[in-house]
Amino acid sequence: MTATAPAPAPTTVPGARPTGALATAVHLAPLFRRRRDGDRLATALPVASFAVVTALLLVVLGGAQAFFGWDDELASTYETLAVIAVVLLLVPLATVGASAARLAARRRDERLASLRLLGATTGTITALTVLEAAVTALAGAVLGVMLYAVLAPLVGLLHFRGEALGAQMWVPWWWLPLAVLGVALLAAASAVVGLRAVVVTPLGVRTRQKAGTAHWVRVVIAVGVLVVGLGLMQVLGVLGEMGGIVAIVGTLAAIFGGMLLALDALGPWFVRVRARRQARKAQTVPRLLAARMVLEDPKAAWRQVSGVAMTSFVGVFGAVGLAMADMTSTEGMDPDERWLMQDVSTGVLVTVAVSFLMVACSVGINQAASTLDRAAVHVSLDRLGVPREVMSEAARRAVMSALWMVAGGSALCAAVLLFPLVGMAIFVQPVAIVTALAVFALGFLSVRGAAALSARLVPGILARPERAL
Amino acid sequence: MVRRGRRPAAGTVGVMTPLLSARGLTMQYPGGVTPALDGVDLDIAAGESVAIMGASGSGKTTLLHCLAGILRPTAGSVTFASGQGLVRVESLDDAARSRLRREELGFVFQQGLLLDELTALENVAVARMLGGVPRGQAEAEAAQWLQYLGLAGLEQRRLGELSGGQAQRVAIARAQVTGARLIFADEPTGALDSATSVEVLDLLLSATAQGRTLVVVTHDADVARRCARTVVLRDGRVVSDTAAPAATSGTAAPAAEVSR
Repeated sequence: MTATAPAPAPTTVPGARPTGALATAVHLAPLFRRRRDGDRLATALPVASFAVVTALLLVVLGGAQAFFGWDDELASTYETLAVIAVVLLLVPLATVGASAARLAARRRDERLASLRLLGATTGTITALTVLEAAVTALAGAVLGVMLYAVLAPLVGLLHFRGEALGAQMWVPWWWLPLAVLGVALLAAASAVVGLRAVVVTPLGVRTRQKAGTAHWVRVVIAVGVLVVGLGLMQVLGVLGEMGGIVAIVGTLAAIFGGMLLALDALGPWFVRVRARRQARKAQTVPRLLAARMVLEDPKAAWRQVSGVAMTSFVGVFGAVGLAMADMTSTEGMDPDERWLMQDVSTGVLVTVAVSFLMVACSVGINQAASTLDRAAVHVSLDRLGVPREVMSEAARRAVMSALWMVAGGSALCAAVLLFPLVGMAIFVQPVAIVTALAVFALGFLSVRGAAALSARLVPGILARPERAL
Repeated sequence: MVRRGRRPAAGTVGVMTPLLSARGLTMQYPGGVTPALDGVDLDIAAGESVAIMGASGSGKTTLLHCLAGILRPTAGSVTFASGQGLVRVESLDDAARSRLRREELGFVFQQGLLLDELTALENVAVARMLGGVPRGQAEAEAAQWLQYLGLAGLEQRRLGELSGGQAQRVAIARAQVTGARLIFADEPTGALDSATSVEVLDLLLSATAQGRTLVVVTHDADVARRCARTVVLRDGRVVSDTAAPAATSGTAAPAAEVSR
């Protein structure tokens, strides 16, 4: 009997010449489009977030361009305010993009790490992830255009200068593809920034460790800026007499900008101090875990919700403005001036609401990414018998306590600046203040809802624990 | 009935009142060609130290997960003599199995299953707080256990500031602070050097001297040799179940644990 000779081993044919990172990523991308079980929510969240963001962006742009259609003497004031509103919303929009990129990287971690093991370059991994984020954003943005078509008639019911915006809410048709493209490009750019926070190695994907400290010097700077701002407010009249309206507007802009910088300097430090106190006093496991999660990186906790800081700050101005508009005797004013006071407040409240919705999107996907980051921890806690509600509550508390800090702290700073007016508004025009508070409450509820939604990833993780460990 | 802590003679399997009993345990993973467990029968008595050995893929971790109520077996039963009477583990719903793991079982795994963001003290205290114990009392009990396990002075260190052996001691403290009667350990020394492995294993085995039961999944023959009994799995079946002399040592454990 003769032994059968083994079949000859396949020979390796030299491959084609090496291609660039982008070309390789484009070739690999279709393979990565295949969905896995339990991956749907992680896919749907960024798409839904980009849809909401695009729709809101178009709504705000629609409202803004309506103001550009006017050509009387107050038109430039309205146009300036509209531009400010759009600029205020760009910060939360950019954070949504970065969050989506982080989620895209985390969702693909095993395969990205395998590719690195096979010799894929960092460039290929970056291109693949950025492509993923851009395609996700593109799909979300197209859905967002449809959502805009639904929202625009509703927002068109808002009155500016005594008339409903109505059909003025519709942007020119050629803005739509530009907006879709713009959102996709912004997502791609944010993805590059977001990827700096994760390290893809052949052994896995991990979040880059950063020093999670927030120094007390920040407080000194912030208090200094606040004192200078208060001082400038006191001499605003004198500056007006010396330099006219330009001096007043310039000073107000400096105060506004200074306050925002102060908030950004103060925020992480304040978040850390409060979380340390909460960790010390916590009597339940969710409270202890939430406080410790924030302490892991107070700057990141601040960043996640800082988009609300500016709008909360402006929101107090809006609420007080609304009250003042109702209180002020309008006998000496012409109709346009009366409408301007009312419209500024309406615009500010709309901006606050939109900003909260964008932060909700950002929180939703940030929390989803964080839940996937902590998949092994969730599996571990489950094995130890920790109830799932405890895990969800801890994650939700970590976000909401930072949000309370951010929104509350910003609103408090603004209230300090406008102290006498705020006090007067509360007593004389409570309805206006209640309106503003209702907008804030709805904003908090939307962020809380987004945080709760991402907690629904946990059952999927626990159903396939071997993927997490 | 056999007194708690008694060890069977070498070469025989002890006939003790089972603390944990598995019958016809079968586990078939979705899409799997062969069952991970194939009709496993196993009795574990109170106070025993049992090593479960086997090659990679033999089903030893799956067996541990089924015994501990982490996985629900495809067929067969697991009966646990809990503080409230006999419990059919496989018939409990998710929440009830979680409660059982939280209140009656302890776990020491290769990675320790500890929370990075918490201090050593908090990691141990959390196990008691989940049972409704006030934080002050939970931390006091946790501190006693950490001191007993040689971690005095390291209570406020976070996980990243501890060595692998110290982290495993924290896991051992957490597994015992609740008064768990049965401790499951999955490759508890897998990531440790040999000297630290011996120390960690000493601490785990000392738990049996305090009346606890220890089930260790390991591929390390040295670890298995130090347990009172070794169960070997191959292709999801028990192919040998032998007892051997084991040397365990014990020092006085914190009073809170002994009373349970």
